[in-house]
Amino acid sequence: MIEDTIASLVQVPVSRPRERTWSFRIPGWEGALFILALLGLWQGITTWVKLPNPALFPSIPVTLRALWSSLPELLKGTCYSFRILVPGYFSAVALGILWGLLVGTTGWLHRTFSPFARAAAPVPPTVFIPYAIALLPTFRLSAIFVVFIGAFWPVFINTAAGAAAMPCRHRDNARILGLSRCSYLRRVVFRAALPHIFSGMGVGLALSFILLTVAELFGANAGLGHFVQYYADFADYPRMVAGIVFTGAVTLLSMGLLELVKRRALFWVR
Amino acid sequence: MNAAPGFTVEDVSFAYGNTPVLQHINLTIQAGEFLCLLGPSGSGKTALQRLLAGLERPASGRITWRGAAVTGPSIERGMVFQDYSLYPWMTLVDNIGLALELSDPSLTKAMRRERAAEYLAAVGLQGTGRQYPFELSGGMRQRAAIARILALSSSALLLDEPFGALDPLNRARLQDLLTAIWSQATPRRTVVFVTHDVEEAIYLGDRVVMLGSSPGRVIGEVAVPFPRPRRRRELFTAPEFHRLSDTISDHYHSEVLEHIHEAWTMTGLKEGI
Repeated sequence: MIEDTIASLVQVPVSRPRERTWSFRIPGWEGALFILALLGLWQGITTWVKLPNPALFPSIPVTLRALWSSLPELLKGTCYSFRILVPGYFSAVALGILWGLLVGTTGWLHRTFSPFARAAAPVPPTVFIPYAIALLPTFRLSAIFVVFIGAFWPVFINTAAGAAAMPCRHRDNARILGLSRCSYLRRVVFRAALPHIFSGMGVGLALSFILLTVAELFGANAGLGHFVQYYADFADYPRMVAGIVFTGAVTLLSMGLLELVKRRALFWVR
Repeated sequence: MNAAPGFTVEDVSFAYGNTPVLQHINLTIQAGEFLCLLGPSGSGKTALQRLLAGLERPASGRITWRGAAVTGPSIERGMVFQDYSLYPWMTLVDNIGLALELSDPSLTKAMRRERAAEYLAAVGLQGTGRQYPFELSGGMRQRAAIARILALSSSALLLDEPFGALDPLNRARLQDLLTAIWSQATPRRTVVFVTHDVEEAIYLGDRVVMLGSSPGRVIGEVAVPFPRPRRRRELFTAPEFHRLSDTISDHYHSEVLEHIHEAWTMTGLKEGI
């Protein structure tokens, strides 16, 4: 049979398949050492150095105790914050990707929308906060809106750039196969633009956290940003620092989660 | 061979912007013919392929496929690109499955998977279906690209220097694989194979059409008289093979040398070669 004839012509070494797994990159010892050194410096300064205003500089044990005692409040605050962050960020990601794919692949849309995008994207989203609060009925809605604006532009811009930078052969291939526009966008352009999309999502997520906490400083009555602002007003600096540390940890964890998804989704990128 | 026309190229010219790439190309390719396009870089071989595929439109002139004008790309005329035509984010089975899905929408997913595995086995890649292109060597990838094009069940195959990046051993294997696939199918597919290797063109082709450069034009053609199946060792030691190869090379190189000469004198060297 034809298969046998042809199989006899070629001998193939089969390499071991690469697994598509969830994996974290373990940081090296240099990084851990540096963080330990910073903590040591913090503890050293707060114990041995005579500071002009010791109340402003809580030591590590004091901060940890404050962190422990306000943990329930902080967790509740995180839930509250995430109810702003999640809808704002994910609607921005969904819309940014969709619109980015369309604009990146359609000449006339690109010509129509890009000048506006170039003008609107660099406007710092924080300037919308007072207006959004005045305009929208609840604080949550206005904060969601601001987070959306902040995350939308990086996702959109990166998606459009990724779609436009796709190698021509992917497009030619799709044309020869006769893919419909919809499956071309979904199965080819989206996948090819995914490295760009993830970098846009990373920038968008970092910006979302900034905007979320800034918005909460303005007008929230709960949430991570509000927690920090609240205890600063009472000059309860151990709790304030605990709030900063906790917010940092939440941000780090969220970014780490995104990185994990990215590494799994982009296994084919060399 | 029957005389039904596969492709006809009638007085076709083509340009990228203001740079003329092809000028007044006339060519008829019979259905089922294995045609090799031989030419140096800049002779518009790739452009001609893209015109045949329908990925580009001629500036003037007309291209037909089976009597109808070529107005756009079609799954009827499958193309293998210089750089492998596989999507890097799909496994081999999914890449081939996508081709199957579009060439025959009635197939179920399970049938497509099964069929894809068969095509992979047909090119000697049994058991690699779940691998991704980046896990394969260059030769394996190009073989998978051929399996994919078989799945398209295209009646024309447009191959743009498909073996250009391979080592001589893999190259020879894939040449034999391609001719085996081509000669065992009925009816035979029309193949347009672009190369700049004279011996490869003679070994594979029924006919070799030579293109000259700047701008690309047809400078000659030779019918290859050797019967099939061709045996590499016998053919490559036959004096007729070398005579034909020399004839083509002389023709081909006189063109190339002429251009080199022009280029040298143009860059201000007082004496040419």
